[in-house]
Amino acid sequence: MKKAKVIIIRTAGTNCDYELKTAFELCGANVDRVHINELISNKNKILSYDVLAVPGGFSYGDDIASGKILSNEIKNKLGDNVKKFALSGKPIIGICNGFQVLVKMGLLPKPKDFEQISTLSYNDSNKFECRWVYLKTEKINGNTSCLWTRNLPDVISLPVAHGEGKFVADKKILNEIEKNNQVVFRYCDKSGNKTEYPQDPNGSLNAIAGICNDKGNVFGLMPHPERYVYALQHPAREGFDGFYGWGKQIFQNAIDYLED
Amino acid sequence: MIFEIEIKTKKGFVDPQGKHTSSDIASIGIKDISSVEYIAVYRLDGNINRKDAEFIGKELLSDKITEDFAVKEYEDLKKKKIEKNSIEVWFKHGVTDTVSESVVKAIKDLGIKEDVIVKTGKKYRLTGKNIDENKLRKIATGLLANTLIQEYLIK
Repeated sequence: MKKAKVIIIRTAGTNCDYELKTAFELCGANVDRVHINELISNKNKILSYDVLAVPGGFSYGDDIASGKILSNEIKNKLGDNVKKFALSGKPIIGICNGFQVLVKMGLLPKPKDFEQISTLSYNDSNKFECRWVYLKTEKINGNTSCLWTRNLPDVISLPVAHGEGKFVADKKILNEIEKNNQVVFRYCDKSGNKTEYPQDPNGSLNAIAGICNDKGNVFGLMPHPERYVYALQHPAREGFDGFYGWGKQIFQNAIDYLED
Repeated sequence: MIFEIEIKTKKGFVDPQGKHTSSDIASIGIKDISSVEYIAVYRLDGNINRKDAEFIGKELLSDKITEDFAVKEYEDLKKKKIEKNSIEVWFKHGVTDTVSESVVKAIKDLGIKEDVIVKTGKKYRLTGKNIDENKLRKIATGLLANTLIQEYLIK
């Protein structure tokens, strides 16, 4: 069977691209880390891939605001093809800085409109927050609306590391996201109940840690699943099949979806 | 023409930098400052018009959800008036301003072809009792500006 082709967009300040490549490769994908300038000089290149990933890091030094300059660059230079990619139903993931990029260019939560309607603002603590947190996997009758979060337990833990991760949107948009089941992960305690700082690291509205579009193929989250692909990476060595971390399942889901 | 674009937190949202600065002022022993509003300032110098500056403020420099922007226009910066009870901090001439370099790149990405020189600054608007020049200078030199590389402006 032909291997899924994954593209990881990198630029100045990207620093989680190698871990992300490793995570996808572990799931059987062919992965290319491609510099944004290369994509801009060959605008159709992006469409030859099956999965698009925007990794974590500090793109352009987080100047102006986290993810702002890269989102501006992608939207103005590659916007048509990125929107086309999203609307075609192919999987897209943005992790941490990548999530900030997707939200600030308007690819989340509504790729069809492609306008910024929500944001990731400064943590309530006004500090960089770096720790393992618990996440509740949102499900309806045991199923998730997002292709990336299938086959996960009700609560998983992942590491966070960010200074601007507070999800903010106005009441109308927030209600819409909730109604359409676009909230994928929420910060919680070990049992899946509502929690507060420091387990909720940033004070996000409705404790939102990750969202997807209404079709469930575009996914963004502040925590780092690529840092938990092996059980050994977990502080208590927890995982599944005695070897893997739950982060791996997230990438596996996208590859399995393409094979289906 | 020179434009200064000021970015501040919208009403109803938390201004974490302002809040943080306010508690830092108290921690250096200066009382009577009840709140601080933080404003990021971008000075744009180039062959652009007000419409361009507003476009840059809206699309690039501010967050549409949590921030407001205001554009101020100067023919000559010498005529600029410093706001009462405020402190502005800017890099001294010749000091590398890395954020400005990113902003220059991002302005080009927006499709504006004209060359624009950018400087970044910070403005702190203070509220409280008995705010005078001495107090502002003490806050500026003790907390907000590294005077080796930055200059501060107070009224």
